Amino acid sequence: MSGTFVTLVAAEIERPSIDWHAIAPELILLGGGALVTVIDLIWLERVRKLIPTLTSLVFLVALIPVITLWADGSGLPRGLWIIDENVPATGVWEGAFVVDNYSLVLKGLFLLSAYVIVLLSTNYMSEGDYYDSEYYQLIAASVLGMLVMSSSRDLISIFVALELVSIPAYLMAAWRKRDLKSNEAGLKYMLMGVFASAILLYGMSLLYGIAGSTLLSDIAAAIDIGESRPVITLGIVFTIIGFGFKVSAVPFHTWAPDTYEGAPTPLTAFLAVASKAAGFVALINVVIVALPTQANVVEPFIWVLAAITMTVGNLIALRQTNLVRMLAYSGVAQAGYMLAPLAVYDGISDRATSAVVTYLVIYAAMNLGAFAVVIIAARKTRSAELSSYGGMFNYAPGLTLAMTIFLFSLAGIPPVGGWWAKFEVFRVLTEGNRTSGIALAVIAAVNSVIAAFYYLNIAKQMWFLPSPDGDNSRIAIPPALLAAVGLTVAATIVSGVLPGVVSDMTDFVNVAAGQ
Amino acid sequence: MGVQQNVAQIPVDLGSAQPRAVAFAPVSDFLREYIVVGLFGALAFGLVAAFIGLASIFRPDRPTADKVENYESGVDPVGSGWSQSQIRYYIFALLFVMFDVEAVFIFPWAARLEDLGVFGLVEMVIFIFILALGLAYAWRKGVLRWV
Repeated sequence: MSGTFVTLVAAEIERPSIDWHAIAPELILLGGGALVTVIDLIWLERVRKLIPTLTSLVFLVALIPVITLWADGSGLPRGLWIIDENVPATGVWEGAFVVDNYSLVLKGLFLLSAYVIVLLSTNYMSEGDYYDSEYYQLIAASVLGMLVMSSSRDLISIFVALELVSIPAYLMAAWRKRDLKSNEAGLKYMLMGVFASAILLYGMSLLYGIAGSTLLSDIAAAIDIGESRPVITLGIVFTIIGFGFKVSAVPFHTWAPDTYEGAPTPLTAFLAVASKAAGFVALINVVIVALPTQANVVEPFIWVLAAITMTVGNLIALRQTNLVRMLAYSGVAQAGYMLAPLAVYDGISDRATSAVVTYLVIYAAMNLGAFAVVIIAARKTRSAELSSYGGMFNYAPGLTLAMTIFLFSLAGIPPVGGWWAKFEVFRVLTEGNRTSGIALAVIAAVNSVIAAFYYLNIAKQMWFLPSPDGDNSRIAIPPALLAAVGLTVAATIVSGVLPGVVSDMTDFVNVAAGQ
Repeated sequence: MGVQQNVAQIPVDLGSAQPRAVAFAPVSDFLREYIVVGLFGALAFGLVAAFIGLASIFRPDRPTADKVENYESGVDPVGSGWSQSQIRYYIFALLFVMFDVEAVFIFPWAARLEDLGVFGLVEMVIFIFILALGLAYAWRKGVLRWV
């Protein structure tokens, strides 16, 4: 064994010259996360109150290089390992880690979502007698995985990033450790997540076996043989199933409702938005970069997944009486809409990618907002049951208005954000007049109508029905939660009224492959 | 090692499987691929069913109270499923994993120390720092005390 190893590495090591600017967001997050841990270790209880602020500062500081890269990169992909320094931005890199406009948008999305999640968590964690400094360190670790994921163009870095996203999330799902439901949430999420990882690894090993390389662009070249073969199909199917668990696509969604209900609510928001987005990013990277020539295999499979996911998600959501579970199933259904563009990506992979990322950005704003309102309301009602939202207009009119905006957006009603996300999906689906695309568009349209029923039903509870216990005293909203609602309301409205703001950012040339 | 060799052989098998495509000609390419995926799944279920089914046909079936009990390493299953074990052992196992992983990375690095040079040294210092942070965490939060 050791003999083999030595021959493997016997070639002279070429020390890469590192593009520090390109990896600055990840480095800041890593260093900042470590710093927060050290501060926590030195002063323990004395700095407990400061940890959430420090963590959110780390997220904001990490956002600075993302913005400067966006400003000076002029859309050109940069690699981590630039072998030839004379051709810096355009040319040669080893391809496992690529920074381009696509990954920068996603990094911005992940960092801002994480910032809002910290705002949502601050009061919840400090009032609940939990280990709170560890919670924020785990969030930082998980977000680091997401940043790496946006730039990964290699099976190994994708897998490592996916595990870095997931493992802290398994721990955090069981954070309310004296509550059996939270234990169940963590255990179910971990078991299903590990199961998904195993399937994913199996699929990846088949793809690697065919290509002899873990680089996505090498795999794309190796399987471009003009026809499909069983072993390639097997590899693709297993890989997509693995990601299907992470994005909670039906029939791999079974963990989602129980985990969402049992986990701490801020963490549920984190899972429903950031963690799901990370799964989609991995799926896009693999499908668009590694499988551009395998559309005849990938498209029908994702088509079926998308159609079942949106239909089953919406139908089950209709019958939920617990708002968090309803949002969980609504999240499953929304994942179906997000999958839809990937069912027709052949020839328009850039447009399909833009549509998915646009959806992810707008979905993050509206869904984080909805969870923020759930968290605020639970501070008064101590429950997430749908009936407990009755009469909210009487005691919290502003909050009711905000929730209505989020619900309209989730249902896709103009002028708030969600309609633009859906519009982009429909535009991609109907582009090219393909029967499969139009059929999926019809299914998505029918589903939007079904979804409108249960979204508007929540609004009805809040506006028209009396409060169940007759208690109409006002809610005191802590500043952090108020800021979270304000940010998400603004983002939801702006993305709907001025869709150009989002679509200018998500209008990429393409997902840059490594070489 | 053996597993890797099998993987490397897959492209060769692919080539030899080529002529068989003719037999499936009336079915579209797309369906043929998914038939293979279906067969693969059916085989997985079929194998398990066959093993358990065959065993149930051939084995004598004389259940006694002792036989239908859950088997766990020969220990009598007494009491409820919720049994407590010392949390200390769990923590020490966890810390062991940390140092185990550290060793896995340090040995190959040490074997190639001179070639990797300063670059390798800096990388390894960063790696050890992050692991040491984990140990410092465990120490400071008091989990190393044998209460």
